[in-house]
Amino acid sequence: MTTTTQPPAPRRVDVPKNFETVAWNMMRYSAFLLIPLAWGHLILQDIIVGVHSIDLDYVAMRWDLLAWRIYDILLLAFAFAHGMNGVRQVLRDYIHSPKAFTVVSYLLLIAWFLISAMGAIAIIAGTRPA
Amino acid sequence: MLIHLKVFRFDPQTEKAPHYDNFELQAEPTDRVLDLLEKVRNEHDASLGLRRSCAHGVCGSDAMRINGKNALACKKLVRDLNSDHITIEPLLGLKVIRDLIVDMKPFFEHYESLLPYLINEEPLPTDGKERIQTEEQVLRYEDTTKCILCAACTTSCPSFWADGKYIGPAAIVNAHRFVFDSRDRAAAKRLKILNQQFGVWRCRTAFNCTEACPREIKITQAIAEVKRAITTGKLD
Repeated sequence: MTTTTQPPAPRRVDVPKNFETVAWNMMRYSAFLLIPLAWGHLILQDIIVGVHSIDLDYVAMRWDLLAWRIYDILLLAFAFAHGMNGVRQVLRDYIHSPKAFTVVSYLLLIAWFLISAMGAIAIIAGTRPA
Repeated sequence: MLIHLKVFRFDPQTEKAPHYDNFELQAEPTDRVLDLLEKVRNEHDASLGLRRSCAHGVCGSDAMRINGKNALACKKLVRDLNSDHITIEPLLGLKVIRDLIVDMKPFFEHYESLLPYLINEEPLPTDGKERIQTEEQVLRYEDTTKCILCAACTTSCPSFWADGKYIGPAAIVNAHRFVFDSRDRAAAKRLKILNQQFGVWRCRTAFNCTEACPREIKITQAIAEVKRAITTGKLD
């Protein structure tokens, strides 16, 4: 005799997200976005244009297009976020107090935000007329 | 063949620092490392401290560092080491009680913190017997049922060496065994514990645990599945 069973319903749970979950996801998202951003930057600056041809005129010409400024801001923000997250992981081995580690994590987040914001301001406002 | 055996010795009650004792033993290539240690105890120094029980790779009590790598002394053959010089040391990351015996209490505390037992308060099926599972449902967690809690994985993990508060691969493996069991109802509770600072996110996918596991459990994969369950909420 054979019996048939209904396929079981998918099981799901809701796990409240916290700083650790967000930081881990951010590491993956930033790495994923860095693939096109960093490679695009490398191919354009080092291969197509060439490092010896890059001067202020070239930068001004490139930043005439808002899209390139956004591209550069994203590259800065995600590369820096990825690096800061990595620093956080390294520091984790040396900071054994959970409270101290939480404080350090937030300090790194603030540092990332401030420096990324400064970079963004420089990219938006820092060109001169070609 | 002649084996040069170097064994870690330390009695914290009488010694300030550990030292190594050297023994020269005649052995067969098919002898196990545990046989060598038993020989030392029976013929050279009865005070050598080590744990062993079943001696057949089931109880998991004789995990130790053999030539720098975690393994069960009862499963490691002399010929597998490709050397006539063998160094035996206790597991790293746990306090040495004496010689090759380490304090397993922190390891088991981490294990117990993840509720390693089936939790289901729902009434039994109408026949009053068992909760039937499909083959796929069993296969979902079967690999992690093989764990024998020898601690070879947790004590090979760099994150655990850095900070013993990390819950460790063995505890995560045993959480995985119940989180993905369709009969269990406490997955959310376990995943919430694993989502903390000393939980699953401390894993850096070094793969040491997978290499060290004497039961060949795909530990790093199991940890990745737990991470995915936390972020997506999906248990299938």
